[in-house]
Amino acid sequence: MGAIDNAADVLAAAETGEGGFWEDAYPVIPHPGELIVGIISFAILYFLYKKYVVPRLEAMLAERQRTIEGGIERAEAMQAEAKASLEQYRAQLAEARNEAAQIRDQARAEGQQILEEMRAQAQEESARIVARGGEQIAAARQQVINELRGQIGALAVDLAGRVVGESLADDARRNGTVDRFLDQLDGMSGSSAVPVPEGTR
Amino acid sequence: MLEGNLAIIGYGLSAIGPGVGIGLIFAAYVSGVARQPEVRGVLQTIAILGFVLCEQLAIFGIALAFVFS
Amino acid sequence: MTTVVSAAEEFVPPSAPDFWQPLVGEGAFAITRSMIVMVLVTIGLAVVMMLVTRRLAVVPGRGQFRLEGVYGLVRNSIGRDIIGTDHFRPYVPLLFTLFTLILLNNLMGIIPPVQFPTMSRIGFPLALALGVYVVYLVAGVRRRGLGGFLKNLVPSGLPFWVVPVVFVLELVTFLVTRPVTLTLRLFGNMFAGHILLLLFALGGEYLLLNGEGLLKLVSIPAFLMFILFSAFEILIAFLQAYVFILLASVYIAEVYADDH
Repeated sequence: MGAIDNAADVLAAAETGEGGFWEDAYPVIPHPGELIVGIISFAILYFLYKKYVVPRLEAMLAERQRTIEGGIERAEAMQAEAKASLEQYRAQLAEARNEAAQIRDQARAEGQQILEEMRAQAQEESARIVARGGEQIAAARQQVINELRGQIGALAVDLAGRVVGESLADDARRNGTVDRFLDQLDGMSGSSAVPVPEGTR
Repeated sequence: MLEGNLAIIGYGLSAIGPGVGIGLIFAAYVSGVARQPEVRGVLQTIAILGFVLCEQLAIFGIALAFVFS
Repeated sequence: MTTVVSAAEEFVPPSAPDFWQPLVGEGAFAITRSMIVMVLVTIGLAVVMMLVTRRLAVVPGRGQFRLEGVYGLVRNSIGRDIIGTDHFRPYVPLLFTLFTLILLNNLMGIIPPVQFPTMSRIGFPLALALGVYVVYLVAGVRRRGLGGFLKNLVPSGLPFWVVPVVFVLELVTFLVTRPVTLTLRLFGNMFAGHILLLLFALGGEYLLLNGEGLLKLVSIPAFLMFILFSAFEILIAFLQAYVFILLASVYIAEVYADDH
């Protein structure tokens, strides 16, 4: 019993002595317990970082990189689209302008045509009126001529009979002579400059 | 009546060299950055590296001062 | 100071034993304050990281945006720019782990309820530096084979009698100096920074409580300096985390550099 107590005392003394050693030890001598705790803590933390933290961060960074690149691509696509729609709009505008010009041209042409038609119609009308007037005049003239021809024949024969003293009224040939003479007069003073040959009648 | 330890004087002496060295390093760093501000990042790393290697001597000094105190 | 201040108790400046704060147990495997901080920071980081990255959006929210800022710094301005575009991907988890762990642990030196920089106990920076050490050794041997790796230590074109000397120097640099400096830098910065803060805080407190007359007023600039250096420590915390992974990636990059 005494021996055991003695041993315990010695152990306790040794322990306190060791504690004193660590208290007075040079600060550059590592304390084994602290070294072990340091290594274990470091190892655990390193394991966690290697296994979880850094891969997660790297994955996120890679995804961000992708997203940024995707965003750039999307922006480019959007720009291209905007450009395309601008082009389309411009094309449509040009087309509309073209169309408008065409419509205007057409309208102008139509107006011109209508004008022409109207003019032609008016000319036709006036020509017709003129022609009719001319016809009427000609008819009246013809009538007058016909009337006059008869009267002139009778008158001339009458007059000649009186002058000559003999009646020529029944002589058809004489009548023909007067007519021929009148025709000759007609031909010289009429519109047709070509004299009618005597024999054809 | 002053009490103390010769080792601490040794540490003081050992701090002179690194003090001068660190001063020179950062003087060069400052003039370098003033001359070419665009290389600041590179110079900073180099300057800190130099500072650290220089400071190491002073750290040896303080460690040994405690060893021999 | 002791002559000026006729104090009831002597002023005890902060020193190395102040950093030994066992909470449970004694000796080599005692649970210390810094262990608790380290474990809490690790759990907190793991939980936050898992939660934030559980649902990542292409258009980030606020939390994700901040996380992405840190991740982008580690991944692009350190990993990609220093190791190189072709090889940096396998090392991003390592660099990101180191950066977040160191940064948060360093900030714990200032954040009020904790206010103990974990990295001021050399065991923790040593653990991290060992991680980097293993990674760059394995990467180097894997890339060139053991023979090629050893051969690549010596730059070509040296006179033959210089080769052994350079080889030994480079080997020592590679195997000893680099991990040791990596450890010591982080440890030393945090340790010295915290001692400085302790000095201002304890000195100001001592002057306020035990100073006579006008000497009490001197505690005001001491506390102001404490605040100022706390802000400065934030910068240091960030810078040391940055520098740690900067050097780690420089060491890794050397494996992939075709020339020595």
